[in-house]
Amino acid sequence: MQEEVFNELAELALKGSGQAIPKSKSYLIEARLAAIARREGFGTMADLVHCLKSRANPVFAAEVASALVSKDTCFFRDRDALKRVVDDVLPKRLKASNTGRLKVWCAGGSTGQEAYSLAILLEDELPASLRGAKIDILSTDICKVSTETARVARYGHYEVQKGLSIHRLVKHFTRLETGQWEASEALRSRVSFRQHNLLERADGLGNFDVILCRNVLSGMARASRTKVIESVSKQMMPGGMILLGGGESVIGLTDKLEPARHFRGGWVAAGTANAEASAA
Amino acid sequence: MKTCLIVDDSRVVRKVAARIVRDLKFDVLEAGDGADAMRQCRQKMPDAILLDWNMPVMNGLDFLRALRREEGGKHPLVVFCSIENDAEHINEALSSGADEFIMKPFDADILESKFAEVGLV
Repeated sequence: MQEEVFNELAELALKGSGQAIPKSKSYLIEARLAAIARREGFGTMADLVHCLKSRANPVFAAEVASALVSKDTCFFRDRDALKRVVDDVLPKRLKASNTGRLKVWCAGGSTGQEAYSLAILLEDELPASLRGAKIDILSTDICKVSTETARVARYGHYEVQKGLSIHRLVKHFTRLETGQWEASEALRSRVSFRQHNLLERADGLGNFDVILCRNVLSGMARASRTKVIESVSKQMMPGGMILLGGGESVIGLTDKLEPARHFRGGWVAAGTANAEASAA
Repeated sequence: MKTCLIVDDSRVVRKVAARIVRDLKFDVLEAGDGADAMRQCRQKMPDAILLDWNMPVMNGLDFLRALRREEGGKHPLVVFCSIENDAEHINEALSSGADEFIMKPFDADILESKFAEVGLV
């Protein structure tokens, strides 16, 4: 890929979604834009860039920017963390709630596997302390196609075999004639999906007891990470928690959050970790 | 080191699966049909069995049912691995004693994920 073509697309990724794509990973650009290039009839990435520059179409530019975001996800990624959300975090939040209603946000939830994994745990392993609670799960993603895939809840042969036991597959999914597996109505009814760019304000989404923002920040430029984590944390209810991916941290990005005392990878509002530890 | 017996009448499938399973730190044995697999299990029960369905001499389902009746036959964790991937076949395999089920075709990620589901890795 020519350097100026790479630079244009890397700049678009940065401005459109906060993604930082180094030159050494320029192959990711070709891989992620292959479907759009095929659909539009572009022979090369240079043709695609030429179209972006000559057409000045913000909708198309946004589609390209969202296509450049990693879609890597699977069912039950880091299942121990998800289990602890269901077994420990949500029951504590329910005790603090006076509505009996809990809200969870999967920020950057891609094609929905994270949200459906939570829904499966709530169906199969609901702790007694959560019985009767109304738990709303919202999953958002920058990519319209990913969001729609999540909403339709149909997954392919390879997707349903990574992270999902065969027992859960046959219990919660139905094999269609196309060979895809569709999530049950019971699962689908537990989760809603919206397209949302994490670089934009999130106050229209509401406030949440738990926000899962896992493996989202690590692909972003530093300034974008700060912007996203500060925007996301504004939607955290008092006493709520943000859960990042393994190895991710917001130290140095914001002073509005501090590590949760009893949940590795969990982050709470600064100054509240002691109160959270006392409640544990 | 744990042992895994790969039972499939396709030499190609056995070779591909063996490479993946060795990377997961298993000693690998191979059998081309259920009867050969049973003979090997009677010599020494493996820790894991990756089992095809449609095979000559003795198919995977008959082997599995016979295995579970054998002394020590409940020990191996059995991962069925078959092109028969409708719910009916899957449920039949599970009710006959399979611990997990891989729908062919599979890759290394799927095999590792399924082995992790049953605690083999």
